[in-house]
Amino acid sequence: MSANLSSVRHVHGFDVVKPLSIAVMVGIMLPLVLLPLASIFIFGTGNGLVSFWAALTAPEAIFALKLSIVTSFWATVFNVIFGLFAAYVLTKYSFWGRNALIVTISLPTAIPTAVAGFALLLLWGPYGTLSRLFGVDNVPQIMFTAWAIILANIFVTFPLAFGVIKPVFDTMNRSLEEASATMGASRWQTFWHVTLPSLRGAIVSGALLTFARAVGEFGSTILVSGNLASRTQTAPLYIFAKFNEGQVEAANAIAIVLALFSFVIFSILFFARDWLEAE
Amino acid sequence: MITAMQLISKPFLAGLILFALLMAGCLPSGPDSGANSRTITVYGFSIMKEALEKEIYPAFKAKWKKEHGEEIEFVSSFAGSETVTNQIIQGAPADLAILSIERDADRLVEKKASPANWRESPNKGIVNKTPFIILVRAGNPKGIQDFTDLAKPGVKVIHPDPVSSGGAQWSILSIYGSEMKKSETETGTADPVRANSTLQAIWKNVISSPGSAREARTQFELGQGDALITYELEGLIMKQTNGPIEVIVPKSTIFSEHPALIVDRNLDAGKRPVVEAFLKYLWSDDAQKAFVKFHFRSVTNEAYNDENKEFAKIEQPFTVDYFGGWTKAYPDIIEKIFRDQVQRK
Repeated sequence: MSANLSSVRHVHGFDVVKPLSIAVMVGIMLPLVLLPLASIFIFGTGNGLVSFWAALTAPEAIFALKLSIVTSFWATVFNVIFGLFAAYVLTKYSFWGRNALIVTISLPTAIPTAVAGFALLLLWGPYGTLSRLFGVDNVPQIMFTAWAIILANIFVTFPLAFGVIKPVFDTMNRSLEEASATMGASRWQTFWHVTLPSLRGAIVSGALLTFARAVGEFGSTILVSGNLASRTQTAPLYIFAKFNEGQVEAANAIAIVLALFSFVIFSILFFARDWLEAE
Repeated sequence: MITAMQLISKPFLAGLILFALLMAGCLPSGPDSGANSRTITVYGFSIMKEALEKEIYPAFKAKWKKEHGEEIEFVSSFAGSETVTNQIIQGAPADLAILSIERDADRLVEKKASPANWRESPNKGIVNKTPFIILVRAGNPKGIQDFTDLAKPGVKVIHPDPVSSGGAQWSILSIYGSEMKKSETETGTADPVRANSTLQAIWKNVISSPGSAREARTQFELGQGDALITYELEGLIMKQTNGPIEVIVPKSTIFSEHPALIVDRNLDAGKRPVVEAFLKYLWSDDAQKAFVKFHFRSVTNEAYNDENKEFAKIEQPFTVDYFGGWTKAYPDIIEKIFRDQVQRK
């Protein structure tokens, strides 16, 4: 009866609940997310587009963006391959300590990123564990270089790709894999021709999520990178440095780029998922 | 049978490979990449930025080029003094450090990053100084004339965090010493109880403690708070750009003195001479004049300071020596009084 009623309402009348609930939703989002984002745009372009463009094309700003993209890219490559491998191993085999490993992989989600930063320093730094074990001269000093930024990015985004890929593995149709095996395909052939194609959507969304998160990483990078302009200063560190110097406009110019960037990434995620998951 | 190749479209795959190659091409190598010219890496506390980047680096580059025919480059990082010191101790590739407080210089020595004899540089290793003042909003709506007025109820104070900022520690010494000095002239004996209670009352009014003096100024500039205790230079920079603020000069306040020293742990024999030459250059007349131009006060020649009419006259100035130097001021005032009594209340 009630089902009938609502369908009637949809066809004949004007459903007030619909615009009302949309308005409430947007109304809640407005002060929490939309207006703060809008302020970035207002502040960033407040002195006109010319000075906005100048802030954006400052060599230090361009370097910072490039460094963020490159370090995030390599962290993504690593974490997607590892996530795929880990999901495969943890789904395929049952062994003692398996659950402990799954929990460990997920840990970086809840660990403050600053902790990730000094954990790396305490391992690799000149007063760190490795230097104490093997002597300072035998440990490559990679802290305060681009490698440190990649390591920090890998740490903080470690669970993301795995988290997207693993559930797809769990629910995957096993019969295809079994059929492939009965037809005489090797493990590798089965993986390449059967398993991998059905994971395509998960791999792409895992990669985009990891990449987006790594580009925005701040807390761990500020500790391990050295924050040298045009050397080890990523885009978020550049924003922070400019803000601290009182150059709020320059900070906002790069903030706008990062905001648009995440908008693009999540749009791709949204539209590509359907396209990729259609068989 | 479906294959991965059929499903992942060819343009997509080609794009991916192209992107990967592009990325591989621009992976930055270690800190020595692109070292055609020699680079001096300077880590400085937050407010050093303008004087160094706008005047002192270019001047020294030109001088070195003229005398040795060699191009040198500068790169630098600026943050709170304690933060900078911790970064260097953890291995940041600094060649030279300019810090807010001597305690941080001594921490570098303690960790064997810098030479123990850094006080043998000119002027005991101190490159410049500036007094601590109070910044208020234009028109001084809260009627603030001295530190004690910051203790009044309803005054919102921005004060950097002494854990990461040297300026914050100067500010604490400034408030405490100011009250000691004033009570001394009024009654004949310094009154630590009065100094302690003023510090406590001001700290109750602190609404935010940013990581560095510069960060604190940015917060103040964006409209937070009624007052900010900071280096005189910060107020003068804001005035220069017609910021809607006023500088209030306390009757008695501290002169902060900023040490510079090399980080010889990171220097090889080839690079050491140029870094030492740059260190020495900081006490040259040119560099000292540049500091004065960017609102620091010279430590080598008071005549430069007298020429600069924007500098405030301070009735009862004092330095960290009033407390017996940093080796006593840090444990006695910052730790035992500020941290243990004021902050934990």
